[in-house]
Amino acid sequence: MVFIHTNNFSGMLKSLIRWLLLLTSCLVILCLAGCKGHVVGILNPKGIVAYEERKLFFDTLALMLIVVLPVIVMSFTFVYHYQASHRVKEYKPNWSHSFFLESLWWGIPCVIILVLAILTWKKTHELDPYNRITGLNQSPLLIQVIALPWKWLFIYPQQNIATVNYLMIPTGQQVEYWITTDNVPMSAFFIPQLGSQIYAMAGMRTRLHLLASQPGNYDGMNTQFNGDGFSDMHFAVHVVQPEEMQQWLNQMKKSINHLTDAAYSELLKPSINSEPKFFSGVTTDLFQNVIATYMNSVGTVHPRDNQANFNNLIKSQKE
Amino acid sequence: MFKDLLFGNLTLDAIPLHVPIIVGAGIFMVLVVATIIFWITIYGKWSYIWHEWITSVDHKKIGIMYLLLSAVMLLRGFSDAVLMRSQQAIASGTNLGYLSPEHYDQIFSAHGVIMIFFVAMPMMFALLNIAVPLQIGARDVAYPYLNSLSFWLTFVGAMLCNASLVIGDFAKTGWLAYPPLSELYYSPDVGVDYFIWSLQISGVGTLLAGINFIATIIKMRCKGMTLMRMPVFIWSALCAMILVALAFPVLTVTLALLFLDRMLGMHFFTDFAGGNIMMYVNLIWVWGHPEVYILILPAFGVFSEVVATFSQKTLFGYTTMVWAIAIITFLSFVVWLHHFFTMGAGADVNGFFGIATMIIAIPTGVKVFNWLFTMYQGRIILATPMLWVTAFFTTFAIGGMTGVMMAVPPVDFQVHNSLFLVAHFHNVIIGGVLFGYFAGIIYWFPKAFGFRLDEKWGTWSFAFWVVGFYVAFMPLYVLGLNGFMRRVNHYSNTMYQPYFIVAALGAAFILIGICLQIGQLIVSIKHRHTLRDHTGDPWNGRTLEWSVASPAPLYNFAELPIVSTRDQFWEYKQEHLAEGRVHPKNMHYHPIHMPKNTPAGFIIALFAGIAGFALVWHMWIPGLLGFAGVLITMIARTFKTDTDYYIDAATVKKTELTHIKEMI
Amino acid sequence: MHSEDSVANDHHHASDSTDVFGFWLYIMTDCILFGCLFTTFLVLHIQAMHGLVLKSYLNLYDVLIETFLLLLSNFTFCLAILNLYANKLFKVQAWLAITFLLGASFVGIEIREFIHLANEGFRWDVNSQASSFFTLVGTHGLHVSCGLLWILLMIIQLPLLKMTNVAKRRMTYLGLFWNFLDIVWIFVFTIVYLMGAM
Repeated sequence: MVFIHTNNFSGMLKSLIRWLLLLTSCLVILCLAGCKGHVVGILNPKGIVAYEERKLFFDTLALMLIVVLPVIVMSFTFVYHYQASHRVKEYKPNWSHSFFLESLWWGIPCVIILVLAILTWKKTHELDPYNRITGLNQSPLLIQVIALPWKWLFIYPQQNIATVNYLMIPTGQQVEYWITTDNVPMSAFFIPQLGSQIYAMAGMRTRLHLLASQPGNYDGMNTQFNGDGFSDMHFAVHVVQPEEMQQWLNQMKKSINHLTDAAYSELLKPSINSEPKFFSGVTTDLFQNVIATYMNSVGTVHPRDNQANFNNLIKSQKE
Repeated sequence: MFKDLLFGNLTLDAIPLHVPIIVGAGIFMVLVVATIIFWITIYGKWSYIWHEWITSVDHKKIGIMYLLLSAVMLLRGFSDAVLMRSQQAIASGTNLGYLSPEHYDQIFSAHGVIMIFFVAMPMMFALLNIAVPLQIGARDVAYPYLNSLSFWLTFVGAMLCNASLVIGDFAKTGWLAYPPLSELYYSPDVGVDYFIWSLQISGVGTLLAGINFIATIIKMRCKGMTLMRMPVFIWSALCAMILVALAFPVLTVTLALLFLDRMLGMHFFTDFAGGNIMMYVNLIWVWGHPEVYILILPAFGVFSEVVATFSQKTLFGYTTMVWAIAIITFLSFVVWLHHFFTMGAGADVNGFFGIATMIIAIPTGVKVFNWLFTMYQGRIILATPMLWVTAFFTTFAIGGMTGVMMAVPPVDFQVHNSLFLVAHFHNVIIGGVLFGYFAGIIYWFPKAFGFRLDEKWGTWSFAFWVVGFYVAFMPLYVLGLNGFMRRVNHYSNTMYQPYFIVAALGAAFILIGICLQIGQLIVSIKHRHTLRDHTGDPWNGRTLEWSVASPAPLYNFAELPIVSTRDQFWEYKQEHLAEGRVHPKNMHYHPIHMPKNTPAGFIIALFAGIAGFALVWHMWIPGLLGFAGVLITMIARTFKTDTDYYIDAATVKKTELTHIKEMI
Repeated sequence: MHSEDSVANDHHHASDSTDVFGFWLYIMTDCILFGCLFTTFLVLHIQAMHGLVLKSYLNLYDVLIETFLLLLSNFTFCLAILNLYANKLFKVQAWLAITFLLGASFVGIEIREFIHLANEGFRWDVNSQASSFFTLVGTHGLHVSCGLLWILLMIIQLPLLKMTNVAKRRMTYLGLFWNFLDIVWIFVFTIVYLMGAM
C-alpha cells in the first residue's frame, strides 16, 4: 500500500554534485574568457541615467535577496534534514498553523515591498525619459531620430545636418531625443551605456533625455523586433568633448550631400548594414512632416506604399 | 474563377522546397504520421481508436490525449530552441550562421506560440482533466461533450500551426504578433493568418474548457465538500479557470480585430488612417498577463499536493494558501502594463503598474514559505515529484526575483527586450510551470495509467533538465546586462560568443533530459507489471483520487463519497487502518448514469480546421463549407436525444470486486 | 432504497442547475468580449480623426425603430416562455415566429444602414473610427442573427422535444441570450449613437 522509496538517492546525489562542480568550474572559466574584453551596458555606465539605473538595479537586487537567500537555503536544508531515511525525531504530521510564522512571512515581504515601492515611485519620476534632466545650465541639444528600415536617421535640426547610423554627442550636455519611425514597424531607441530605451512608433513622437558623462565609443541599437534586418540595426555613438563636437559640426556643414526629399526617399528603401552617411542641409520640418504623414492619412493605401515596399529586401535577396 | 474560389492563393510554391531544414522536418513529420497510420491499420485498431479515444467524452481519456498532444508539440517547440541556440552559438562577428533571417524569424515566433499554446496549456488541461473530477468526488466534468470539443479544437489549432511549417510560412512577428509588423503592409504573407487562426480555434477550445471546469468545481463537488474543504489544487484550478473565462475573450477580440485589419482592410492597429498600435499592445497584454498566471496557478496547486503527500504532513496554512491564490488571481488583472513600460505612458502610470506588480510577489512568497514549512518536521520521501519541487524553490525564487527587479520601471528601461528578460521568463515558466507540471504528471501517472514511472530514469532526466536549464539560461542574464537583445540572429561583439556556446551546451543537456524522459516512458511501459499500482494509492496520498483503483474505473466512484473534513481520504486511513473496511461484496450498488461517446466534438473541430486553413489561403468555397460543417454538426447534435446511458449495478459490483482482489 | 427513476430525476435536477450556471458563465465571457469592443471603440473614437467622422453619418430615427423592434421582440419572447410553461405548443411557436420577424427586421434595417453608409463613403476601411463602428455594431448584429437562427431551430425542435426539461432548459438559454443582446444594444445606442451624435 505504501510507496517505499528504494532509490539510492544519497549516493547518486553525491556523484551528481561532484560532476556538477566540475562542470560549473569549466563553464565559469569558459565564460570568463569572454570577459577579457570590456563590460558594456548597464554594468559599465557612461551617462548619468545609466549610472542611476545601475544603482537601482543593485539596490533592488539587495532588497530581494533578503527573502530569496533564506528561501534557497531553507529549501535545501529542510529537504535534506527531514528526509524520511534520516529518521529525525521530530515528526509533526498535523502541525499546520502558526500565527507567528505567518506574520513573519506576510509582514517582512510587505515591509520590503513597501520600501521598494517608495523607491520605485521616486525613481520612476526622477528617471522619466520625458523629463528634462534637472540642475543643468545649458539648454539641451535637440536630435530628431527617425527609425527607418533597418537603419537610424539622426537629424540635428538646430545645426541643419543629418547622419545615418552615426551619432556624435558632447559630454556634459543634455541631449533631448525626439523619436519616431518611417516605413518600418515599431522600433526602440537604446544606448545601454548612456541610459533608458524608449519605443519609436509611426505617427507619434516619443522623447528621451540622456546625458553622457565620459567620452568614448558606445553601441546604440534597436531593441524591438521589426523585421528581417532587425539584427543589423545598430548605430555608433561617439561621445566627445564639446570642442571636438563643435569642430565636427562645422565640418559636417561643408558636406556635399543634402538630405533632400529624393535622398530621403532613397533612405526609405529597406536596406541593412548601412555605412554611416552624412548630410548637410535637411528638408524643412522633415521630422514633423514624417509624423504628419501618418497622422493625417486616410483610406486603404499605406502612405509609403508607392515609395518603398517594405518587403523589397526579401525580394532583392532572393534574386 | 471557380479555381480561385476553390484554391484561393494556395499554389505549389507554398511548399518551401528551397529550405532544406524545413523539407527535412516536413518529411520527418510525414514519415511519423504515416508509420503510426500503418501500425494502426496493421493491428486493426481503427475501431478501437475511434470508439475508445476519438469519440470519448471521458475526462480521464481526454486528459491523456491532452498529455500526448503536449508531449509531441514539446518536441517541435524544443527543436526550434535547439535551432536558435545553435545559430546564436556560431553567428558571431562576420559569421551569419546557417539560418536565414526569414527562417529564423519564423523559428522564434513558432517556438513561443507552440510552447505556450500547444505545450503548456494542453499540459495544464491534461492535469486538470486527470485529477479534478476525482479530487472533488465527481463522476466527470460538468459538460463532457464540451470537454471533448475543447480538446479537439486545441488539437486542430496545433495541427494548423504544424501545417504552416510545410505549406506556406508561419508568422515572422514574435509570439504576440505586435502590429504594425503583423499588419498586411509589413507582413503580406500568410504567416500571421496561420497565427491568428491556430490561436482563435484553440482559444475557443480553451474558453469552453474554462467554463467547463468552473461549473464542475462549483456545482459538482461531492456531498460535504465545502469550498474550504477542497484540496488546494482544486482552488488553484478554479482560480486559473476564472482567469481563462475573463481573459480569453480579450484574446478572441484582439485576434479578430487583427484579422479584420488584414482581411477587410480595417484600421484598428494599422500605423495609418487612425489605427492605434498601442491599443493592440494593451489588449494583448490584458490577456497575456493573466495567461501566465493561468499557467502557474495549477503548478502551485500541484506543489501543494505533492509537498503535503511526500512530506507525509498536512499542508501548512490552508486558509492563507487559499487567500494567496485569490489575491494573485485578482492582482493579475492590474499589472499588464509592466510588459511595455518603455512605450512612454509616463511616470505615474508606470509607477502604479510597477508597484502593483511588486505586490503580487507577497502572496507568492507566502505560498513558498507555506510549502517550506509543510516540509519542516515532516518525513520527506524524495521520489521524483519531490525532486522537481526542490528544484522549483531555487529556480522560481531567482526567476521571481528578477521579475520584481524588472517591475521597477527605470531598471526595465535597461533590460526590456534583452536576453535578461528572456532569461527571466524562461526562469519562471520552466522553473515554475514546467517543473510543476512534470511533478504533477509523475504524481498522477499511476492514477491515469495503472503503473508508476521508473524512478531511476526519472531522477536522471530530472538532473539533466535542471543542470541544463541553469547552463542554458544563466549566461543569458549576463548577456542581457551587456546589451544583447532577443530575436537577434547574429551579433558583431565576438567577445561574448563563449556565453552563447555555453547556453547551447545547456540546451544540449536539456535535450538529453528529454531523451531520458522518453526513455523513462518506454522503460516504464516495458516494466509496467513490476511497476503496477495494485492499490490505487501508490504514494500514501491524502485526497479522494487515491481512494479508487488505478486506472480509475469508467464511473470513477461506485458510490459518490461524502466528506466531512479536508484530506478526507487521509483521515479515513488514519481512522480505519486498524478496523478494516466494509467489504465491497457486502455493499449495495446502484446503476450509474454516464454520458455516451460522441463524434460531434471531433467533427466540429475538423470542420473548424478546414475553415481556418481556408481563411488563411482565401479559399472561399472550402471556407464556407467548413463553417457550414461546424454549424450543421452543432445543430444536428442538438436533435440527438439519446446522449446518455446507465451502467448496470452488476457491472459496477464486478469492477469493484476485481479491484479489491488486486489490492490484497 | 433508491429507485432508478429517482436517481435519474436527481441527476436531471442537479444537471439543470449546472447547465444554466454554465450558460451564465458563457454570457459573462460574451460581456467581456463586448466590453473589449466598446473600449476599442471609445479609444479610437476620442482620438483626432482626419477625414470622415461618424457624427455626420448617424441616423437616429433608424436607431429608434431598431430599439423598438428589439425591445418588443424581447417581450414577445417572454410571452413564448409563458406559453411554454403552460404547455401550449402552438402558441409558443407562434410567439417565437413573431419574435423572429421582429428580430429579422432589426437586422434588415441594420444591413440597410451599413450599405447606405458604405455608399456615402463611410466605409469600414477608410479610418479607424469607421472600422470600430462597423465592428461593434456588426458584432451585435451577428449575435442577433445567430439568435434568429436559434429561434428557427427551437420552432422546429419544440414539437420533437415535447415540452420536456430539455425543451425548457434550451428556451431558458435562448431567453438569457436574447435578453443579453437587448442589454448590449442599450449600451450600443447610448455610446455609439447618442454620444456619437453630440
